[in-house]
Amino acid sequence: MDLENTKAQMRKGILEYCILSVLSRDSCYASDIIKELKEAKVIVVEGTLYPLLTRQKNSGLLSYRWEESQQGPPRKYYELTESGRNYLKELDKSWEELVESVNLIRKR
Amino acid sequence: MKITVSVNIGGFSFNIDEDAYAELKRYLKNLEIHFADEESASEILSDIESRISELFRQKLTTFKQVITINDVNEVTAILGSPEDISDNKGPSAREKFSAPGAHRMYRDTDHRIIGGVCAGIGAYWNIEPWIIRIIIVALTMAGGLGILIYLILYIVLPEARTTAQKIEMKGDPVNIHNIKESVKKEFDAVRKNMKL
Repeated sequence: MDLENTKAQMRKGILEYCILSVLSRDSCYASDIIKELKEAKVIVVEGTLYPLLTRQKNSGLLSYRWEESQQGPPRKYYELTESGRNYLKELDKSWEELVESVNLIRKR
Repeated sequence: MKITVSVNIGGFSFNIDEDAYAELKRYLKNLEIHFADEESASEILSDIESRISELFRQKLTTFKQVITINDVNEVTAILGSPEDISDNKGPSAREKFSAPGAHRMYRDTDHRIIGGVCAGIGAYWNIEPWIIRIIIVALTMAGGLGILIYLILYIVLPEARTTAQKIEMKGDPVNIHNIKESVKKEFDAVRKNMKL
């Protein structure tokens, strides 16, 4: 068993959920999302985010719009779609169940 | 003193050192190959490029106007290697990588003149067998060393009989991992030349 690998697998699983959670508050562009995920230490290398965002967008959970920016070229702002919100609600539920289950086992 | 090149990254123009350019190009090429199976590969890559552009802009000031190799290394470390980024290829892909198909030297008796030694060497290094033959003949005329080398190789090298051996003789079949490796080697060579 490789500890780093196990940790990475755990993080990968929740990363998708965290991205949707960040976007549930407000629409963001990729670097804002990265900032939050880095502060929360759920992401190690930034590159991981981009394929996930694109996949979530392709499956209809996210949409994006281009917005002008003061500091540079236009930015891609992502936001949750209606189906994204429903998806997130399901994930919220399953996350709480998971935490409960793990706690139950750990405290036994 | 270093030569710089001007590149457009995510809609911004950067002056970048030549060695830094080679490294960045290699990194992007690797990413491209890694995401080749993905349906929205170009979109992912252009998003990553925008981020690279943003990180580069943070590195420039009035007194530092050129992107250096250190900047590139820092930025690629922040973004992660292609293996770190894509999740569909686990350690198995990496293992495959470090153990490429066998590549052995055989005697190529299909294309032989005498014993297939020169044809085999040519197939192994992918060069024209006649070049090897000329070298051997030249060495023979310049003191007889050529004959000795030929005889030793004739004894040491086995003959390529089966199809598998013939494939081994020519090296790896062309697949995505080989392409990636060869791209890396190409850029490493470019980088070395530039340091001189």
